[in-house]
Amino acid sequence: MFSKILIANRGEIAVRIMRTCKEMGVRTVGIFSEADRNALHVFMADESYCVGGPAVTDSYLNMTAILTVALETGATAIHPGYGLLSENAKFARMCESCGIKFIGPAASVIEQMGDKESARRLMRQAGVPVAEGCDLLADGAMAEAEAGRIGCPVLIKARSGGGGRGIRRVDNPCDAPAAFESARTEAEAAFGDGECYMERLMLHAHHIEVQLLCDEHGQVITLGERECSVQRKNQKLLEESPSPALDDKTRAAMYDCAAKAAEAVGYTGVGTVEFLYTDDGGFCFMEMNTRLQVEHPVTEMVTGVDLVKWQIRVAAGLPLDFTGRDLTPKGHAIECRINAENPALGFRPSAGKISLLYVPGGPWVRFDTALFQDYVIPPYYDSMIGKLIVQAHTREEAVRKMRSALGELVIEGVDHNIELHLSILSDPMFLSGCYHTDFLTCMLEGKETLC
Amino acid sequence: MLRKGLFKKPSNELEAGGEHGEPAPEAPDRLVVRCSSCKKMIFDEDFRSNQMVCPNCGKHMRLSGRRRILTVADPGSFQETNSDLCSTDFLSFPEYTEKLDAAQRHSGEAEGVVTGLMVVNGCPCMVFAMDHRFMMGSMGSVIGEKITRCFEEAQQNKLPVVGFTVSGGARMQEGLTSLMQMAKTSGAVKRFSDAGGLYICVLTDPTSGGVTASFAMEADILISEPGALIAFAGPRVIEQTIHKKLPAGFQRAEFLQEKGFLDLVVPRKKLRGTLYRLLSLHRREDGGYGRI
Repeated sequence: MFSKILIANRGEIAVRIMRTCKEMGVRTVGIFSEADRNALHVFMADESYCVGGPAVTDSYLNMTAILTVALETGATAIHPGYGLLSENAKFARMCESCGIKFIGPAASVIEQMGDKESARRLMRQAGVPVAEGCDLLADGAMAEAEAGRIGCPVLIKARSGGGGRGIRRVDNPCDAPAAFESARTEAEAAFGDGECYMERLMLHAHHIEVQLLCDEHGQVITLGERECSVQRKNQKLLEESPSPALDDKTRAAMYDCAAKAAEAVGYTGVGTVEFLYTDDGGFCFMEMNTRLQVEHPVTEMVTGVDLVKWQIRVAAGLPLDFTGRDLTPKGHAIECRINAENPALGFRPSAGKISLLYVPGGPWVRFDTALFQDYVIPPYYDSMIGKLIVQAHTREEAVRKMRSALGELVIEGVDHNIELHLSILSDPMFLSGCYHTDFLTCMLEGKETLC
Repeated sequence: MLRKGLFKKPSNELEAGGEHGEPAPEAPDRLVVRCSSCKKMIFDEDFRSNQMVCPNCGKHMRLSGRRRILTVADPGSFQETNSDLCSTDFLSFPEYTEKLDAAQRHSGEAEGVVTGLMVVNGCPCMVFAMDHRFMMGSMGSVIGEKITRCFEEAQQNKLPVVGFTVSGGARMQEGLTSLMQMAKTSGAVKRFSDAGGLYICVLTDPTSGGVTASFAMEADILISEPGALIAFAGPRVIEQTIHKKLPAGFQRAEFLQEKGFLDLVVPRKKLRGTLYRLLSLHRREDGGYGRI
């Protein structure tokens, strides 16, 4: 086992990982930016070092500084958390060259899955259903022809894309050449790679993802799914497990595909396969996330498995200690992402001092956060400041528990979205269990969504 | 506010098992380098893959002569000429032999310039590239001879010449002979030019002294890299002589371009494309080069 791990992240996830490390007897090294000098993770770690200025490019993405800290402190592994360097193949390779274990899959797997077009091809070969589409587009004429063949609406997507950039929706084949050029230019500027492919846009679909855990000895297990269709601008806001929209047969088929996907790439560690599911029972592969997800506690609550602990264990070469391929989740869990932003003002981010903090308690209520009384939220980072997770026997009970926990959660000093979560939890469409990725947009605009 | 030691350390022992984790990590040699301009630590691999240009601030680091040729030539096209010419200590100048030995060891080259034939995207040309690692590219009799021969061979074969200069000036260990190289190379350029040959010179950081005062500035088309120092006497010498502070950017490529001494300032990444464009503009349909 690693005697010392560097946690290359900040906020609640850094704290979350450090807690598990402490339980395992692993010493922790924290890193921080100049703006995070007083952050919780700095004091939670056994030792902490400043790696640069407030901007993430200077600190939390500063690979040379982070590697230097790891080498100087003798950390034998680096946990990247989520976001930041977690899906950076180059960083994984650099860690490897220094004899430091990158807690995540091999650099080659990150590279393969980061290239959306190659991931699509690989999944198709492995027998995983992918959205109808085509391989790399050569020019505008090909884009127009393919849009006509596949049937609009379609999406033109950059293979190196991410964060919603390099994506264009095409509603009419004659618009495809212009959309292709614009997607290619944007992707070229943002990612240095303008290659694009096309796939059919699935409207009124559910975003459902399957959690995977794989060891270095070839064992792959699935740990249930998460319904993540409550989204705003491709950012998830509320997740639940299991998905209320799936029947057992589709669920089993989805687990099977996720396991196949992991086996096809020789995956190790924790990972997630994202699918789009339509109400006619069809689903297709969207992408594979080669890291720990923000919403992983939902799965932890229904399976009782500490995903971070197992992620570290399999990275250390330990075999999985579970029988069977699919772990059956128990009960129902919901997670609400608490963001410091004002939904009434176009979700404007908010920063400042937490003048009052009260955290809800009680059985099966969990609040993952790096907040504390009088903490000053810096303006430089992601607006997510906490995750409230509850678990109960049924979905209805979980919704009730979440409502009362949200009512008990008090954060004063900054704007937040607790009221928005309460509105979602009272929305008839949400309560019906059949809601799609356009649910939140329609709810906010006061429109009916299609069921 | 939180303070150090606020949280108690748990007395949990390290979990057993697992193959990985030990021994202690170790960085390979030259994992990172520090950019001399912006002082940022950069992965050596990033520096190299970016042709030794800092990915952060764009500072163009010096490149060896041979490497410069490889960055613009078609793979495998470079054929070296006159590689057997080496300097000798004909004046018995103190410590010159030792300095030559050290320069040869340090650079892995026999002399401070590499000459030969190369092809840029299908356009053949003669090339010479000076090497800063060999006594800072100082011009001795062998450098003068190799460059002269390069022009003569180009004239004979009706090929253009592309040159890369980097130099601290004349090689003082060779005395007057070294100064004579200015006239000798200038004569070669003149004869080549009169015969209608095209000469493109890329002045790289730093090009100064007798080299600036002779063949470096005599090209038909003068190109430089961003930020390159191009001077006769360097800025420190001038400052000490006139006892005045020089303006920012003085004797740098951009400054010289503004004053009309240079035609183009081209970043290293675009140099191959620029050379190809210039060479192809002077090329006839039958593959030969026209008189200019």
